[in-house]
Amino acid sequence: MTALAPIRLSSRLRANQGVLVVAALLVILLIFGAFISDRFRTTSNILNIFEQSTGLALVSLGQTLAILTGGIDLSVGSMISLLSTLTSGLIAGKVSMVLPVAIGILLLGLLIGICNGLLIIWLRVHPLIVTLGMSAVLQGIVLLYSLGPAGSVPPSFNFLAYGKVLGLPIGAVFILVLFLLVALFLRYARLGRYIYAVGDDEVGARLMGLPRARVMLTVYGFSGFCCGLAAIYLTSRFSVGQPYTGLNYTLASITPVVVGGTLLSGGKGGVFGTLLGVYLISLLNNVLNFMDVSTHYQLIAQGLIVIAAVSIYVEKKKRV
Amino acid sequence: MLNLSGISKSFIGVQALSGINLDVRAGEIHALVGENGAGKSTTIKIVAGVYKPDAGQMEFEGKPVQWARPADAKNAGIHVIYQEFVLFPHLTVAENIYLGHERRNRFGFVDHARTRQDASDLLRKLGVDIDPQILVSELTVADQQMVEISKALVHKVKLLILDEPTAVISGREADLLFARLAALKAEGVAILYVSHRLEEIFQIADRVTVFKDGAHVATKDIGDVTRDRLISMMVGRDLKDIFPPKKPKGEPGKVVLKAENVSVEGRVRNAGIEVRAGEITALAGLVGAGRTELAMGIFGGLPMSSGSVWIDGEKVDAITPATAISKGVGFVTEDRKGQGLAMFLDVAANISAANLSAVTRNGLIDRRLENEIARKEIDNYRVVCRGPATSVATMSGGNQQKVIVARWARTSRKVLILDEPTRGVDVGAKTEIYRIMRGLAGEGIAILMISSELPEVVGMSDRVVVMREGAISGELTGANISEEAIMSLATQHPTGKVPTAEVLAQ
Amino acid sequence: MVDVSQARATEGPAISMKSRLSPYALPMFLIALIAVSGIVSPAFLSTSNISNMLLQVAPLGIVVIGQAFVIILRGLDLSVSSVMATAAVIATGFSGQNSDVLSILLIALGIGIATGLVNGWLVTKRSVSPFLATLATMIVLQGFRFAYTQGAPSGNVPPLFRLIGSATWHGVPYNMMLLVVLAIVFGVVLAKSRFGREVYITGGNPTTARLLGINADRVTIIGYVISGALAAIAGLVLSGYVGIVDNWVGRGFELDSIVAAVMGGISLSGGQGGILGGLFGAAILVVVFNAVLLFGLPVQLQIIIKGLVIVLAAAFYVRRRI
Repeated sequence: MTALAPIRLSSRLRANQGVLVVAALLVILLIFGAFISDRFRTTSNILNIFEQSTGLALVSLGQTLAILTGGIDLSVGSMISLLSTLTSGLIAGKVSMVLPVAIGILLLGLLIGICNGLLIIWLRVHPLIVTLGMSAVLQGIVLLYSLGPAGSVPPSFNFLAYGKVLGLPIGAVFILVLFLLVALFLRYARLGRYIYAVGDDEVGARLMGLPRARVMLTVYGFSGFCCGLAAIYLTSRFSVGQPYTGLNYTLASITPVVVGGTLLSGGKGGVFGTLLGVYLISLLNNVLNFMDVSTHYQLIAQGLIVIAAVSIYVEKKKRV
Repeated sequence: MLNLSGISKSFIGVQALSGINLDVRAGEIHALVGENGAGKSTTIKIVAGVYKPDAGQMEFEGKPVQWARPADAKNAGIHVIYQEFVLFPHLTVAENIYLGHERRNRFGFVDHARTRQDASDLLRKLGVDIDPQILVSELTVADQQMVEISKALVHKVKLLILDEPTAVISGREADLLFARLAALKAEGVAILYVSHRLEEIFQIADRVTVFKDGAHVATKDIGDVTRDRLISMMVGRDLKDIFPPKKPKGEPGKVVLKAENVSVEGRVRNAGIEVRAGEITALAGLVGAGRTELAMGIFGGLPMSSGSVWIDGEKVDAITPATAISKGVGFVTEDRKGQGLAMFLDVAANISAANLSAVTRNGLIDRRLENEIARKEIDNYRVVCRGPATSVATMSGGNQQKVIVARWARTSRKVLILDEPTRGVDVGAKTEIYRIMRGLAGEGIAILMISSELPEVVGMSDRVVVMREGAISGELTGANISEEAIMSLATQHPTGKVPTAEVLAQ
Repeated sequence: MVDVSQARATEGPAISMKSRLSPYALPMFLIALIAVSGIVSPAFLSTSNISNMLLQVAPLGIVVIGQAFVIILRGLDLSVSSVMATAAVIATGFSGQNSDVLSILLIALGIGIATGLVNGWLVTKRSVSPFLATLATMIVLQGFRFAYTQGAPSGNVPPLFRLIGSATWHGVPYNMMLLVVLAIVFGVVLAKSRFGREVYITGGNPTTARLLGINADRVTIIGYVISGALAAIAGLVLSGYVGIVDNWVGRGFELDSIVAAVMGGISLSGGQGGILGGLFGAAILVVVFNAVLLFGLPVQLQIIIKGLVIVLAAAFYVRRRI
């Protein structure tokens, strides 16, 4: 981390306190898990956790950038539903269609995201509202397209979800590489720095003549692209897409971002925190599974984590 | 370099600029002066591309220009140092300085090491000792101002605009700034310098332009005007006609508000103050000296880390705005829109807002009574509006201020605290607010006025308490009240070093 | 200086907004909408269809009243749908007889109020953004509901709820009468009471409110409690309308209620708008949905229209200065 953060150590420690807490929690959960079940300790279970977290990691990555600018992308859930339904619907079991459809899906995700960005810039409406509206529109469209699971994918397609390279799940490796690239972008590209500046003080960014529009288009476009990736991955995992595939991802994608220490008000945070957040949540669900806790309570646990995380990270309240 | 002619701009209901002219030449320092609300900030924002003028022509480097956005003005070589800094709290000093002009390596990536090194060099060249690696939010206000200034030196500017750059910095830092400006001037940069401090204008400027109430009054070579002439051009009349007569000499009033040992975290250290019935006490000092924070602490609006408050001889523990109000204390805040007015409500609702019980019958607001009260106060304070149901958002600063004073004068019969009561108010309304304040003091109310405008402090107060760096540095009464005396208390160095020729904020 | 006759003429409400639409714009729009729908499809104006629409307005309208308080206080409440579903599940959790109506009502209200308290506490004392706070409580409550019903609720709604939810008296639905009563009560509270004034001041600017001696935190918490309680009532009414309760009764109401409020001129930036506007918003929404069905258009269009409306209404009302 040293190489990535030239901020003085004291400030850096203070800034990253939360991330350290998350990392510590991760370790504690691992130890705890190892105690409660022998099966937990197996390599296959650990790989399983990585595998399960891939979809969430992809969506949360895009979400992190949107939140860093002080915005949010609430259309991710519907977007995933639409894109994954289209993926299996258009491939319709034909091997020859896999590549063109995959490319098309990624482009479509990018395009929808750019639409979000354009609306935010043109209408001057808060991203929350724009993406909420977009979410409803996309949900309607996907239901127009199909009311249930659509089409199918060739069996070889689930290689993406279950395949391995060098014994590691493809998805997990891909995630690590992608997160690293985005982290480098945020740190070393001018546009990456502007993402932080816009999130820190949007009016100031305008006064400074920073390319706010380009930042917005990049961020929401990227979030859409990530949804495309997630949709393809999830279709591969479940072998078919249906209009509610993405339903839970809207909230779920925000949780790891907040847990990972990115401020909802923008300007502070990063993608590594998000990745830790993703692993923490997947690990927690895994441990709860081993403890035979029903999914209902897992839902409660997740809600409580969001509440805890946002109240911990909230910046000191100003009283005047 | 820059030439504005006939520029006009109005905001909802308020004419901010009416046909102003201004020309700034290459290689000169052009001072722009005027009272609050004279239209200086609006002019700057038009030149910077933040606002679009309603009418008039802007020429830059001899060509007519129209900025669609601030980036256009910036790309043309205009750099503005705003009074409210444009700094990004979660970025480091170095990143802030080079934001938009990132140091990059040959692959086009941001070179953090070089950014750090260059920032460090730049700050040293400027003569200040700031660690470029810390977050801007950890700097003092004065250091933030120096970072703001250093941003202007990063790239080639043709026109540099500074809006009240010395409001928060001390004499030594101001001298560093002036040296820098002289160097830029020698390089042929045009500099537009907005300031309240006439001393420094005479020290550095070549020409001066005066605005008043959104109109151009005069542009003169600095050698052709005197200080008194400048003031009367800014104010539009002689000073002695503005301030009402002070309280006649005699017995000092009874102490109604007393605070001891007040500390507000990071801003105020062990400050004590007494405010007397029938008198206007001013709280003076540099911007950032902790005046507002002290008053807010006493009012309960900010948490005190220590201290006791007595109102009318009675000790009040754990004070909150609600208890302060119930004891007869009122607070007219500096930030009218952000902390004073309920912007979406009308005049009547704003007047009754501090004492809703007075207009509440069985839990319901008696709208007729509320309107009746409002009509009375509108007459009383000569508020210009269409009636009790006028939206305050559509009113001018002076009339909004009168509404707020009317609100508090109804409930706060013991102590009224006014923070910068005439900020953003035109001269006419200013005179009226002074008259109202003196009138309220005459009714036996103890008035505490926080003000950065020295003539106002000298012209209005019976007693002046001066703060420096969060502590009380002295008190002046009667004939001892002078701009020089206040200045010396506000800036003299606590370590016993020789006081430099420091000047008071504005 | 002040023209007295003019001053007399302005004895209106205290809220005056620079950007407010003419007060007639919403009713006019609603009437136009109804007229056009009636012309395109005569069945639209049939007694049964009108009565059906009125039946649908009530649950939404009740939620919108609560949502209005929260939005005027600069927040929003996503947990309403979860509260509604939980209340509905509770309604079937007993014997299904009228004798249990009181216990059901008390438990449902208790859940609504508790949710409101938690929301308000998170927003004021923990500075959590309203969006996240209410989203989280929504999820948590959903978890509890699933755990309680073990997936599929069974049982019957007491006949009294069925009556209120779906029966009419000379063509006027009982639930509409309930809505009118609630709207008048809470309308008076918001527009005329001291508490209502404090809501507007706090929503306009919490700092201003605090410096005026108003307990802004308490006002905000009460706002969320009102929203939670009304959502519980709406859930019971809706359970009476649908008759068969599942875990998702009220799904979509969180968005619909916000859309209706925003369309009705209740600004998401706080401090502006009123209950009547919100109810007009709700009516417009119901009419649009109904027309979509009646015109034989695919039902999915409802969702799309909702999405477009929310963005356009916001573009109209809450443009940011950036």
